[in-house]
Amino acid sequence: MSKRDLPHWLIHHAARRAPASLSDRLEEEWMSDLAARPTAVSRLRFALGCCWATRVIAYELGASGAPVASAAGGDNLAIAYFHGDSGFSSRRSVTFILVVALHVAVFIGLMTNIKFYRHVTPPFETQVLTPPYVRDVPPPLPPPPFTRTRIDAPPLELPPIADEEKGSQIDARPMVQSTPADQRTEAPPHLVSHVQGGPGAGFPTADDYYPSAAKRMEEEGVATIKVCVDTKGRLTSDPSTVQTSGSTRLDQGAILLAKAGSGHYRPSTEDGHPVDSCYPFRVRFELRK
Amino acid sequence: MGIEDRNVRMSLQTLRVLEAFLENPMEQLSGADVHQRCNIASGTLYPILLRLESAGWFTSQWETIDPSSAGRPRRRLYRMTTTGLRRASEVFASFNRGILT
Repeated sequence: MSKRDLPHWLIHHAARRAPASLSDRLEEEWMSDLAARPTAVSRLRFALGCCWATRVIAYELGASGAPVASAAGGDNLAIAYFHGDSGFSSRRSVTFILVVALHVAVFIGLMTNIKFYRHVTPPFETQVLTPPYVRDVPPPLPPPPFTRTRIDAPPLELPPIADEEKGSQIDARPMVQSTPADQRTEAPPHLVSHVQGGPGAGFPTADDYYPSAAKRMEEEGVATIKVCVDTKGRLTSDPSTVQTSGSTRLDQGAILLAKAGSGHYRPSTEDGHPVDSCYPFRVRFELRK
Repeated sequence: MGIEDRNVRMSLQTLRVLEAFLENPMEQLSGADVHQRCNIASGTLYPILLRLESAGWFTSQWETIDPSSAGRPRRRLYRMTTTGLRRASEVFASFNRGILT
């Protein structure tokens, strides 16, 4: 064991506290995995985690007596049992003592606070409060007499209403802006018939791109992929996921399928002429029952 | 190896470890590899690996390298057994069906 730094020291001691059948194996395994940690902080975290792992392993093996393959001597696996764990029982004792000590500390703290409160609180005393001296206040003055003032406003003069403007009318006719005679001839509106493209002939099937891991986990779903296609049915940019299927694996499979289908897309058309366009399409991954 | 096939208590971390191995069941992964893929702390990871190994779902062996020539210590490599592959697939299948037992 190389005692170069704190993580090595922690791992060495953690492994020594592990069940004897696993001690050498865990130390070598953890030392090798420690070497893969890049930073000093991550190495220290790893070593501290190993200390905790030792306690968990010792507890589980002590609780179940389950067999664990020990390969301290190499590839020749042997079944070893770990019986009992004095560390766990001592840990329970320590935990119990800590809990009792915490309760005692809280109780003492409360009692100390009560005494302190009693010291701080002034003793109870009776004090007779006498009302302050109030001088004789003169009676309030009577309100001033109410006087009505007259305001002479000039008469409001309204303009006369013409006969045809009397009554409420709403002109429902559309407003037509008059145009000169030479500008009244307009071209009729042109409606462009747009047909969205999609996967065309020779497009690969979703089964070919069903991720094997997703099949094993029986994952199914529908992913919506957006593609940009030129007039030849080829991708002009990388496809993207518009709506996820709920599984990262299925989404990746749909992206691969969309890429593999480049050249087999049916381009969108306007008035029958193929145009560059972007459109979504759905990829359904469904297991065959 | 004489290791029995037993049930394993499923936790989120255990599922993540199993998922890492299910990506490529024939691949052998060290604890450091699993940590990189799952980002599980060592205090949780190694008990899970030993638990799955003791249950017969995993098997492990030392890496067959010469540490002096490789310039690094040999690693302990874990691999999913046939039993583990079947049981883990069942767990994920039932999980996807919403029936996690």
